[in-house]
Amino acid sequence: MMQPEKQLTEKESLDLIAQMINKAKDACHDTGVSAIMWGIVITVCSVVRLSELQFRYELPFDIYWLTLAAVIPQIYFSIKQKRERKVKVYGEAFFDYLWVAFGICMFLVSYSTGFIEDSLEQMIKQNATNVAQPSTFVFYEYISSFYLLLYGLPTFVSGVAMKFKPMLFGGLFCWICSIVTLYTPIKMDLILTGLSAIFAWLIPGIIMEKDYRKAKQGLAAANV
Amino acid sequence: MFKYLDPILHSQLRLAVMSLLISVKEAEFTFIKEKTNSTAGNLSVQIQKLKDASYIDVIKRFKDNYPQTVCKITKQGIKAFEEYVGNLQSYLGKV
Repeated sequence: MMQPEKQLTEKESLDLIAQMINKAKDACHDTGVSAIMWGIVITVCSVVRLSELQFRYELPFDIYWLTLAAVIPQIYFSIKQKRERKVKVYGEAFFDYLWVAFGICMFLVSYSTGFIEDSLEQMIKQNATNVAQPSTFVFYEYISSFYLLLYGLPTFVSGVAMKFKPMLFGGLFCWICSIVTLYTPIKMDLILTGLSAIFAWLIPGIIMEKDYRKAKQGLAAANV
Repeated sequence: MFKYLDPILHSQLRLAVMSLLISVKEAEFTFIKEKTNSTAGNLSVQIQKLKDASYIDVIKRFKDNYPQTVCKITKQGIKAFEEYVGNLQSYLGKV
């Protein structure tokens, strides 16, 4: 137990400072639950859509609605984590706003790409009677590129800001896939989207969760 | 010549509290108690001393209908802590 008025030597003081800073750092570990959840959700969506195309069936609903449904547990996890946390760390608000901005951008991109797709389809249909060879351009083939571009942004920024390499490389992987999907067919786009979600969120999330548990066990073992 | 070590900071528990608070934006009393492995009575006295020196702010509020005490390091506290660490390093460099 710490003695309030115990005078320390200079070396003891520096050791105590380092020890306390490490304890504070260990208490601020992210649980990784949100990253794991989003990694699974996006992978499942991509795999289901891929199977729809591969085996030529259609679900009665758009599987990507699952991403909207996942917002509910996300809000629950965020509130729960904030309530349980006994410390507030610098930059917490930055990460919150970063991921909220990402969510808003995802919604806007879904809306705008849907709008462009509809407009293009109408245009192609109208022109089909006037031209000898109707256009075979399918906008849907290129949509993954927009999403992957967005996936990469908050992931890369979070990875750099947290000095967490798995997320940093995950973000870079999303951007590489964003370019690659421009040149690949839709089925390959879906595989790359699923892989991006695994590398950007699922794997980093699992690592974060392990680190969090390790830090918790370490603190419990040290009885602090 | 050896530099002066701030007596407010040069005690085990107060230094531990300041080292915790320097790393976070704010921390609950219970968190500090847990990490410093101190008793509530001891900690309260030392926190009051740090508050009197204007090194920390103590905010009392309610969370889920329970009283909650939150501590936050002040600008003055950060300056004093940095000076203290600088002086410690110069001490160890000269020894």
